[in-house]
Amino acid sequence: MNGPTIAARPTRPRPGARTWVVVGVLITYTVFAGRQVGFDISTFWNVWSNPLWEKFWPVPWDWVLDWHNVLDPLLETFQIAVVATLVGCGLALPLAFTMSPLTSPNRPTMIVSRSVMNVVRAVPDLFWAKLLVTAVGIGAFAGSWALSVFSLAVMVKLFSETVDGADPRPLEAARATGGRHLPVIRTGVLPTVLPEYVAYGLYVFELNIRASVVLGLVGAGGIGRVIEAQRQYFRFDRVLGILLLVFVVVIVIEQVSVAVRRRLV
Amino acid sequence: MATGPTTGTDGRPAAPTGTARRRLAMGALLVLAVGWSITGLEVTVDRLLGAPGDAWDIFRRMFPPAFAEAAERGVVGKVFESVHIAWIGTLIGALASLPLAFLAAGNVAPVWVRVPVRQMFNVIRAVPELILAMILIPITGLGPWAGALAIGVHSIGTLGKWATEAIEGIDEGPLEAVAATGGRWASSMRWGVLPQILPVVTSQWLFRFEINVRASAVLGMIGAGGVGSELVSQLVFRNFPAVGAVLLMTIVVVLAIDTVSAALRRRIIRGAGRAPGDVVGGDRNAAVLVDLTGIGR
Repeated sequence: MNGPTIAARPTRPRPGARTWVVVGVLITYTVFAGRQVGFDISTFWNVWSNPLWEKFWPVPWDWVLDWHNVLDPLLETFQIAVVATLVGCGLALPLAFTMSPLTSPNRPTMIVSRSVMNVVRAVPDLFWAKLLVTAVGIGAFAGSWALSVFSLAVMVKLFSETVDGADPRPLEAARATGGRHLPVIRTGVLPTVLPEYVAYGLYVFELNIRASVVLGLVGAGGIGRVIEAQRQYFRFDRVLGILLLVFVVVIVIEQVSVAVRRRLV
Repeated sequence: MATGPTTGTDGRPAAPTGTARRRLAMGALLVLAVGWSITGLEVTVDRLLGAPGDAWDIFRRMFPPAFAEAAERGVVGKVFESVHIAWIGTLIGALASLPLAFLAAGNVAPVWVRVPVRQMFNVIRAVPELILAMILIPITGLGPWAGALAIGVHSIGTLGKWATEAIEGIDEGPLEAVAATGGRWASSMRWGVLPQILPVVTSQWLFRFEINVRASAVLGMIGAGGVGSELVSQLVFRNFPAVGAVLLMTIVVVLAIDTVSAALRRRIIRGAGRAPGDVVGGDRNAAVLVDLTGIGR
């Protein structure tokens, strides 16, 4: 009889030398990084017995559900997110087309726009906020600028990848009729990628709602400003109330956006 | 042409009806939304026109960046501190989220366990790292540990959700095989599920690490360790060449980590020397990952 007999089990594969080296390096780095950040396992137990937690309760709902205190800044947060999404996504539409080899007018344009956008995306969102607060002054205006830049960077990345994957045949057909660059894109690519564009736009809006909550921590307006102020007074009960409210708003927006996106794509 | 699409006078297919009106309505809605939003943002015409100039002015003053001064202030060390924070935070999130994901997945956990665990993921995801750090700073004190812990807790939410989706996308065959040998729940998870999801989950961890490097840089702005504090203090002194140096160092490190991590993720998912379409771990899991790779944060 051919084939393996029951008695002879195949030997278990053993990890090679390279695996051990990689594991060793990772463990060493983890121990080193843990020391650097002051890893302290006792925090996981001590955190629960901290007297600070008492300050979180009870939530003063009549203070939280007040237009002047919370709801107006929350509305401002929402407005920042709306403007930033529309500005960012609006600018992203033409820019994304220059970034994809399929639709870019020429190679240098593509390389330049790709590298610039990579650098823009490498700067964290709140760094943008802080820089723009310094540039144009404290307030929601700086916040909407910062979030516009960040939505542009995210949107361009997501959408240009969609354009990369678009069906090239309509594009070829449009080119074959002798169309110029812009009309060719407008008729050959845009209709096929538009549903994704809108879906990503909604997704970016969700991201912006989440991000605009913390913008206020660096002076860029919105509900974060109130959170920061109440934290400085150690009014964690109010902070918790605001967070719960924000949580509800975020969940509602997310559910609506997910439902719309599911219909689109 | 007897049948087929309705044609206009010139033989072209007629435009679909109703879209023009719908487009108009959508456009009007968008214009209204923007108009209403702008009223709340203290926008005036001269501010709007002046803003690009102001931003450009600051940008120009960052050049040439004062690398020597920044190095003297230990900015390089701060940038790496951000990386350390992100690493430890990602590990905390990864180790805590993996077992929880098994309790949240629809195909391996009962309803009464999976609903609360999923809700917990949602709640965690809704609280930004910065807010967590704010709450933790009075407990742990200012410094990188607060940042690492905040990032760790926040990562549990996203990593847990992604891993849950990976588990729900598995091939059920190995699960049945383990059940047929009489294995318990734990062994069917260990031998039926884990080997299938490990490549995807590892790439998710790497991807989260990329995001966390940016997040930990930001956390420094409220004193939770890392490079953010340097950016804030240099901006307060309006020392723009130093700001430029801090920014450039951050960008270089972030881009380097992104590049290496993306290459590793591709290697993990596709394996060495495989054809691009040839995916390990099931097509649906690959789709989940592709979904994630583009997301900027």
